[in-house]
Amino acid sequence: MIRYNCLELLAPLVTDQIVVTSLSGQKIEWAHLSKHEGNLLVGTMGTALGVGIGLAVALPHRKVIVLESDGSVLLSLFNLPTLANLNPDNLIVFVFDNASYSGTRISEPTATAGRTDLATMARGAGIEKAVTVRDLESFQKEMTAALSENGLRFVVCKIEESKDHRNILRTDMDPLENKYLFVRYLEKSEGKPIIRSRG
Amino acid sequence: MKEELAKRIVESLKDAGINFVTYLPETRLSQIVPLIRDDPGMELIAAASEQEAVTIAAGATLGGKQAAVYMENTGIYVSSYSLLAVGKQLGVPILLIVGYLGGVGDQRNSFLYATIGNHTIPVLQGLGIEHTLLEDGDRLEVKIGDAVRAANALRGPFALLFAGEFSL
Repeated sequence: MIRYNCLELLAPLVTDQIVVTSLSGQKIEWAHLSKHEGNLLVGTMGTALGVGIGLAVALPHRKVIVLESDGSVLLSLFNLPTLANLNPDNLIVFVFDNASYSGTRISEPTATAGRTDLATMARGAGIEKAVTVRDLESFQKEMTAALSENGLRFVVCKIEESKDHRNILRTDMDPLENKYLFVRYLEKSEGKPIIRSRG
Repeated sequence: MKEELAKRIVESLKDAGINFVTYLPETRLSQIVPLIRDDPGMELIAAASEQEAVTIAAGATLGGKQAAVYMENTGIYVSSYSLLAVGKQLGVPILLIVGYLGGVGDQRNSFLYATIGNHTIPVLQGLGIEHTLLEDGDRLEVKIGDAVRAANALRGPFALLFAGEFSL
């Protein structure tokens, strides 16, 4: 299974959900596939899931989708027990697990290339609906259920390492610019001010 | 810390608009935790790491909350990456409520804390994070209100370092 094909299936289904991405290939591919105003391209390792948790708790009526990677989740494993205990029923986490630090150009294996299983770890942390999918059909089934039902889901998507994102023109968007577009979209859709000049 | 000071801290946070607090507990200001937990106007989220506490607070802020992170000053070191990669890079106002162990004003200072405390302000300065040092209850409400306003105006984290009377 290739990550880009998964994201191609997800992108047209995103309407008013919030999407938070971590870094590297999936950020590049998602920014290429989706021009949704509710995309927050955090773009740093080990931070997207925490930001997504904060958004999900702050906006409990809004579906939040976090696009993570194995290396990024391994860097922030403390998120798993916190997420399990908060158990926000509006949060979907897709972890695209290619078992490698492929952003390093010369790929190095992550722990999931060895004995580590992120879905098992998530279940051990207390996340009940933590599953692994290994083909597009299973991904689509989990994605459809996650989008249509309430409940925290942690979907580990075992993918082949693909370097196709290196052929995609990267967005020139400044993270600050992305934040303002994202927040102004939320302000509009939530009908409340978020960033105010109080200085 | 006298219970009265804990109550004044929490009331001041509320008055300044703080309605969302993530935290990892510590020794100096721990009395504020049950006060926040019992307050229906504030949401309290326990984190497993200060690095995580900062990212969750940042997400909540972008979702419309006025967020603070309560931590020991060792948490500044632990969360420095999140403070920089999310707090500063995305320009997210977050109030840091910090128990300042090992500083000159820490009334429980010891071999264990002094080396760690000695680096807190230089690290904050290195991260480009402004701070206010509080050692007594004088103008506490004003200083907390000023800090929240400064975080919003600066569009980034702002630290309140609590020592002196707060560390008793």
